[in-house]
Amino acid sequence: MKTFTVSAAPFYRNRQNTTRKIMLDVLTALVPCFLAASLFFGYHVLINLVASMGACFGAELLMELAQKGFKKENVKNASCRDCSCLVTGALFALTMPSKIMVRGWDLNFYANGFRTGGGANAILFSFDTLIVCIIGSIFAIAVVKMLFGGIGKNFMNPAGAAHIFLLLCFSYTAVTAGAWGLSGTAGATWLSGDKATGNASLFLDMFLGNKGSASVGETSMIAILMGCAYLCFKRVIDVRIPLIGLGCFCLFIFIFDGMIARDLLGRVDTPARLFNNLFANLMTGGFIFGLVFMATDYSTTPNTFTGHLIFIAGYALLTALIRAFAAWPEGAFFAILLMNVATPLIDRYVIPKPFGYQKERKSGVRGAAKLGIRKEELGMKDKKSVSDTKQSTPSEIPHSSLLIPHSKDTGVAP
Amino acid sequence: MSGIRVAMHKAYGEKQKIISMPPPKRVYIPLSQHTGKPAIAIVAAGDTVQKGQLIGRADGKISANVFSSVFGRVIEIIDFAATDGKRPHIVIESDGEEDGGKAAGFLPLALDAEPAQIIARVREAGIVGMGGAGFPTAAKLESAGEIDTYIINGAECEPFVTCDHRIMLEYTEEFLSGSRLLQRAVNAKKLIVAVEENKKNAIEKIRDVIEREGYDIKVLTLPSRYPQGAEKQLIYTATRKKVAPGKFPSSVGVLVSNVHTALSTYLAVINGEPLYRRVMTVSGGGIQNPSNLWVPGGALFTDIIEFCGGYSGEETVKLIDGGPMTGTALEHTDYAAEKRVGLLALLTPEETHKKQPSPCIRCGKCARGCPMRLMPMYIDAYALTGDIAKAVRYGLRECIRCGCCAFNCPAKRPLVQSIRLAKKKDEAMRR
Repeated sequence: MKTFTVSAAPFYRNRQNTTRKIMLDVLTALVPCFLAASLFFGYHVLINLVASMGACFGAELLMELAQKGFKKENVKNASCRDCSCLVTGALFALTMPSKIMVRGWDLNFYANGFRTGGGANAILFSFDTLIVCIIGSIFAIAVVKMLFGGIGKNFMNPAGAAHIFLLLCFSYTAVTAGAWGLSGTAGATWLSGDKATGNASLFLDMFLGNKGSASVGETSMIAILMGCAYLCFKRVIDVRIPLIGLGCFCLFIFIFDGMIARDLLGRVDTPARLFNNLFANLMTGGFIFGLVFMATDYSTTPNTFTGHLIFIAGYALLTALIRAFAAWPEGAFFAILLMNVATPLIDRYVIPKPFGYQKERKSGVRGAAKLGIRKEELGMKDKKSVSDTKQSTPSEIPHSSLLIPHSKDTGVAP
Repeated sequence: MSGIRVAMHKAYGEKQKIISMPPPKRVYIPLSQHTGKPAIAIVAAGDTVQKGQLIGRADGKISANVFSSVFGRVIEIIDFAATDGKRPHIVIESDGEEDGGKAAGFLPLALDAEPAQIIARVREAGIVGMGGAGFPTAAKLESAGEIDTYIINGAECEPFVTCDHRIMLEYTEEFLSGSRLLQRAVNAKKLIVAVEENKKNAIEKIRDVIEREGYDIKVLTLPSRYPQGAEKQLIYTATRKKVAPGKFPSSVGVLVSNVHTALSTYLAVINGEPLYRRVMTVSGGGIQNPSNLWVPGGALFTDIIEFCGGYSGEETVKLIDGGPMTGTALEHTDYAAEKRVGLLALLTPEETHKKQPSPCIRCGKCARGCPMRLMPMYIDAYALTGDIAKAVRYGLRECIRCGCCAFNCPAKRPLVQSIRLAKKKDEAMRR
């Protein structure tokens, strides 16, 4: 008799939609950013990219083999085949400067030899950068992603977390100026400078990417927007999310960095200056890069559209606050990570109502009443059994009654 | 409505005229081919039966009569494999007398029969929801209360199925009259026939007939989207009324019936023919001649496949009873055709999927595709950890098991499977 495979419905799946395809789409969307970055910051960006992606891939494979055992079949079915680790690597490489000098290391090749000195700008090949990139990649994959259960279980964006980790652990001098160095902002980013906003050509340079920037990925707005358009077209991300994020960010920056910060400094700004400030804030820094590639990350953002709106608004608010009042010139990655850890909370409280849900649901109330009666019945039985055993174990009841207010207290006190 | 766009694969059967399948040598007529209590057998081994003769009587209100689909002799009543476990079937050996005798039936009624007469006839004829649910239609009509709109569901949103499409094309007058009989039975003010836009020729044909006969029927063109034919979604598209979770459509004054149910009602009331046969689509890359057939109740799938020319040269990996999104995969072909099953699909590897599930990446595509606005990823996660109370919080009880979430899932997780499991556990806990 002819027999067939038995399985559960549905038997019909969307073939165009796999984890691997989504990840490859994100990698494709990152290509313009890499082209722009290597155009403005030189070849070292690509070296960082290869090192980071390789380290991420290797770290994920080794972590999984260490957990499951070093066998051939485990290599065959390894989770790193879904390419999500390559996305992490690529994103992380884009959050790094092109070349850095770690304080006390200086393992760099200069035009006139190894460790001869001469400042970060004169470096030809930087082992410092490579080592830091590999440490960051391993941290991103091994600690942030795999220790928490691998893809979909990480609570923070691995690339963002690795970026912050390096920022806090290593003190380094970085090349922030673009290779072309044409504009007046060379040497420092606009945000870390005096935030002066001058002529119109500055904005064009900022938009195209010919400017100083702390992370190579955030330099060219036009490249990021191309990646964003591709992701929206492929339906990897929802087009409404970046648009609403931009709107929120404009609002908050206008209020905090434009109006309040300047007023506190005692300067009365003209409307034109306020708008210049707004545009320059949009065009520089990691906000838009984070908005497109990190605030739309699947595992670390809320699953509902409403939840995602809260996430995006919080991200814009925190970034604006950090830029306006904090000690750091830029705070997009801090803001992302803070909102990442708030995500489980948002997901807990933002649950969509089922189709046709009505507030006064009679059946629901009846169902609860039924349950309530059952609970009472159970409760009565419990009380009886407790009163029966009361004398034999008197310490139990006061102990449990003590526990309840205690846990409440700890819950309330922030 | 959210939901998904699916490749429909209707080309297999769209243009195949409905043909009649001759009765096979033996039929295995299930006593339970509907929702509710199984019918009680009223024949014994050795009895001679006629085509259309009552052989199983409905047991209570939520049950349905069962009729013989052939002339012949009852061999035995055995427990035989059905899709949901072994159930009693009446085995009848056909004596090959196909056209010789006249099928047993009822006295024909007129189109202007009284509502009570219509409902009584629907009950006698054993008519059930033919779209897949199999709920006894008479019970639905009786408990309806005041009905504003009667919707005839011709959405046919599942891939591969074409039987309703062909009925709307070939039995247009009959099914429209049947729809009007159903409307009459509950005194509904409006009658809507809802058809998906991918069945253009059926819509035109229906419009023509309505115009010619001067019927007061609204034809509604639905967007071609799955699950457009799901009851609550259909009601919302047609009337903008939302049926609350756990409620029946009659709570908003609407009733929905399938196109085939309307046709069977017509046949029962006007022709006096009880429900012993139905139109079934046999489709997919695995069958030699994809067809739409009048299948006698209880015919084995083995015989149906043989009648359709057997297997095609291509490899058949899955045999599906009732649609690739919500149906049941069968292990072999020795199952009997039922009233409620309208599709037998033989799928090739290209038409189904074999990917192993990988971890959830929390992309939220399942929630975005869900027509009930639930969060399948959390229901799945909590179902797997056994925390049913949390799964209920994310909408376990509202799930209609349409399969959109699993269709969309890039990690190919078996979401519907774990939801079904959790539903069973939840029901057991509530009991």
